[in-house]
Amino acid sequence: MIIVNSISKSYGNIVSLNDISFNIRKGEIFGLLGPNGAGKSTIVNILNTILKPDSGEIFIDGVNLKLNPDSCKMIMGIVPQEIALYENLSAYENLLFWGGLYNVPRSVLKKIAIEILGLIGLSSRKDDSIKTFSGGMKRRINIACSLLHKPRILVMDEPTIGVDPQNRNHIFKIIENLNSEGITIIYTTHYMDEAERLCDRIAIIDNGIIKAQGTLQELRNISRSREIVTIKLKFLSDQIVNYISNKMSFPVIDRVLNIIKVECEDVGSEISDILKHLHSAGAEIKSIDTQDADLESIFLKLTGKKLRD
Amino acid sequence: MLKLFKKDLILFFKDQRSFTLTFLVPVILITVFAFAYGGIGDYPDSTESLELLVVDQDRSKLSKQFISDLDTIDIMSVIPSDLDSARALIIKGKYAGALIFRSGFQDSISAGNPLPVQLMYDEEQELETWHLQSIIINNLTSYSRKIEMQKYFDAYKNMFSESVSSVSVIPALPADKNEFRIERISIVGKKKDIKLGLIQAVAGTAILMLLFSMAGVGTSLLEEKENGTIKRLLYSPLSGRTILYSKMLVAFFIAILQLTVMFLFSWIFLGLDITINIQGLILMIISTAFAISSLGIFLASIAKSRQQAQNLSNLIILVMSAIGGSMIPLFYMPEIMSKVAVFSLNYWGIQGFYDIFWRLLPVSDTYPKMLVLIGSGIIMTLLSIRLINKNILKLI
Repeated sequence: MIIVNSISKSYGNIVSLNDISFNIRKGEIFGLLGPNGAGKSTIVNILNTILKPDSGEIFIDGVNLKLNPDSCKMIMGIVPQEIALYENLSAYENLLFWGGLYNVPRSVLKKIAIEILGLIGLSSRKDDSIKTFSGGMKRRINIACSLLHKPRILVMDEPTIGVDPQNRNHIFKIIENLNSEGITIIYTTHYMDEAERLCDRIAIIDNGIIKAQGTLQELRNISRSREIVTIKLKFLSDQIVNYISNKMSFPVIDRVLNIIKVECEDVGSEISDILKHLHSAGAEIKSIDTQDADLESIFLKLTGKKLRD
Repeated sequence: MLKLFKKDLILFFKDQRSFTLTFLVPVILITVFAFAYGGIGDYPDSTESLELLVVDQDRSKLSKQFISDLDTIDIMSVIPSDLDSARALIIKGKYAGALIFRSGFQDSISAGNPLPVQLMYDEEQELETWHLQSIIINNLTSYSRKIEMQKYFDAYKNMFSESVSSVSVIPALPADKNEFRIERISIVGKKKDIKLGLIQAVAGTAILMLLFSMAGVGTSLLEEKENGTIKRLLYSPLSGRTILYSKMLVAFFIAILQLTVMFLFSWIFLGLDITINIQGLILMIISTAFAISSLGIFLASIAKSRQQAQNLSNLIILVMSAIGGSMIPLFYMPEIMSKVAVFSLNYWGIQGFYDIFWRLLPVSDTYPKMLVLIGSGIIMTLLSIRLINKNILKLI
């Protein structure tokens, strides 16, 4: 559906994208995961033709983006990071305005606008002006305004920034519904849990380079991330961390408050050693949990830094 | 506390905008208003040259001599004319007034009768004509006494046959200012009993308010940039040029609408007869709307942020309105202000509406003012297209 081939983009001496390539299949949700400034928005802005790449080419549904930008725009919907709405217009008026830019006949547009308001759960607020909406509601209308021309591809640039958990879940459901209707979605985020929950495949991007891409399992394999043992202690000091880091062959990958995370190849055979070393270091264990490597640990492994850094 | 004080001072002087608003803007405004109210600069009575049309219907030795004497006054420049040409030139606003010596001037002066002298003038330039009148009366008084004295000397010479060659000194006789009267005839705007003040108020205020509203429309372009809607518009199949032109069109349309509403209101509620010259009014509204809407967009195009655009607009509007005659009518201002006023769109707009409602000129005589407005609009539009593409539509 989307082929991005060796795209590079620089601003003076600053390299924003360096030889980026990825393919997105029809009907999948493809995540671009990276910290702020990694190059996600640059990719989005190249896809929506606001920016021109220095080199490389992009094909959208077989159409060369550079040669036929208007054709590509007609099959894509863009959900911007900002809440780009007219505050003094009602939700319905905003939908009609933004949909009208894509030459959708007025009668059809009105019908679609009503449908979409239902989809995002704001039918009852149809005629209220946007300025009376909460942040989460505005975010939902922000998404809705990109759907009026029935795009086959939806590019969503961090659509949940500043949204409370309840509205976030609502937005996730909207995205899952759209995807179930066959819309291909490109989803940029710096939230691990969003990428894990929504994306079929993920590209991890950092400093303008794609470090790895694939399904979550493929990323685990690529990064050689293994099982994670999360141990909650009654008390955790630097002395304990230093002791177990020196004694254990398996690395301590994270430490938050009284919790440490340890990476193992085989938890069953290694857990007794971990417990023994912790006991020797004087640590008192409150609970132990095991899980497959999550995106956070994969990201850490691939980039050498935490996403929130 | 001293550290905080010092820090705030440093921050203040590093902020160019605050500095400009605090010092430069007030200085500019004080200067402009001082000129406008006459605190600075000279009124015509000292250095400015006064141009006076003169129509000599008496064609006598004395009228010719008096006109010749008037021309020798340093600040006076006499331009001979005939009655019809003088009338036309005053109506077009080229000259403030014309002095007419009716037949019988020489006889009246010899007989000591009231003089058949008239001052035909434009009420819009009343200040200047009062000044002209006082110079003329002073000269008439001196001239008349000189002739009277000559008469006495001639009589004395005849009586005593003594050799007195000429009179070189005007004796200090008691001045009676009421002795010489000049009939004043206002010839502009009287045809339909129009009030100059009303035209000034409507045209001046309409243009001033239009400037403010157009600055607001221009600023909305920056607001759209800041809230991301411009970027979203660019995501759609619309081109940047389309977005820009539509904004300009909206500004132009609102400007026409605003001026139309203001003139309709003035017609219905204030009694300004806009039916005098509908064609001229429509063309002037379109020209003025185009120039001022272009200025609104231009101001937005040179600003980096909404705040900056607002500050810049306020400054430009206040200065242009002060020098252009929106706040204070130009005929109350010193002569120098009329020369400075041409740099203001207000001036061309107000003078255009004067041509229509006050001078009652045909539309063709107002074309030059319309052309100045349209020309300014075109220049600002071309600059705006370039600057907006660079500053606003280039988002990243």
